[in-house]
Amino acid sequence: MDQIYIPKNRAGFSIGNYVVIKPLESGKPKKPIENLYFYGIKNLEPLKLEIVHEVLRVIDESVSNYENIFITGSFLDEGFHFDDIDIIVLVDDIINQEQARRDIERKTGIKGHILVLSNKEFYKGLETDPLYQMILSRCVAKKRFIYKKKQIIDYKILDLHLLKSKILIDNFDMLSGKEKYDLVRNTIAIYLYLAKKKTTVESVDKEIKKSLGANVQEIKDNVLDKKAFLMRYKLVYDKSFDKIIKGIEHGSKQK
Amino acid sequence: MVQNRNKLIDLFIGNITNAIVHEILEHAVRKELVADKYRKELITSFEIAKRYRDKINPRYRYLPDKDVVYLREKIVSRVKTELMVRISKGYKNIDLKLIEPLTDKVLSELKIKM
Repeated sequence: MDQIYIPKNRAGFSIGNYVVIKPLESGKPKKPIENLYFYGIKNLEPLKLEIVHEVLRVIDESVSNYENIFITGSFLDEGFHFDDIDIIVLVDDIINQEQARRDIERKTGIKGHILVLSNKEFYKGLETDPLYQMILSRCVAKKRFIYKKKQIIDYKILDLHLLKSKILIDNFDMLSGKEKYDLVRNTIAIYLYLAKKKTTVESVDKEIKKSLGANVQEIKDNVLDKKAFLMRYKLVYDKSFDKIIKGIEHGSKQK
Repeated sequence: MVQNRNKLIDLFIGNITNAIVHEILEHAVRKELVADKYRKELITSFEIAKRYRDKINPRYRYLPDKDVVYLREKIVSRVKTELMVRISKGYKNIDLKLIEPLTDKVLSELKIKM
């Protein structure tokens, strides 16, 4: 039996009373309010939740016939270190992004970064692109959506995606921490995808630590040990590229 | 950091090569590629090349003919090598005829040549 101590003159308790002690906030994820759907998010600060609702209201007013709206990116990270709020609008029509962006900034004081995707783009992306899978592994959705999609490895598409991250090798000194992190994340997401592993925000960040020996904050703060980091990065990059080339070769022989 | 001109030119060539290889591969898989909007946010080789271009003298004028010839030859040859690696493994639809016009286009855009 644990004991608690309270001031002597506190009314309502006598010595020896039994009481229940429980934390003010439980560590469990908070229940989503209204009809929002949370994917891969343990907790969201109440203030951020209000912002999400405001953003959804703005999109709701300016876009009709949308399939879904997703809030993604660093806005969902713990704390308030985000630069903007990433919004994906799933809609087949053309929308006035600029107006919606301005309204979001006016009403919330935060820059809205809106990405409009058609249904076809979205589902194709989820099937073939590890970056889509990673980004949507942690999001707030306006409507429920089925996340599990079959995974298709298209080596030529992955070759093109991986090529984007090659610039990190030769231009290390020229890049900012944020640019480095985006390029590293792209490579590692492809690396995991080729190994048929899960590509979520957590799994990618974990693999960055494991394969590159650097944590995310070090990369973002641009305080990496260049020589050691690049040696590991090249290894991961080359391994991925070799797999892709073998995949292309194998695919061409099957045709 | 002080970097000498040759080093800057070499880095510039590397980035232009990457940008052109990317454009040609994108052309080759255009039918399958419908969803690359996320990567539009990533910094590109072309943007990096622009940063190097700003450090190469003469900055506001075209480069001397001798440099232009050198750069063009190097870029064309490196792009070809990169693409041949893929072609030798059975990659179809890579259009090598695009290399030279794309190289000229990029060099003009970056004020290397007229």
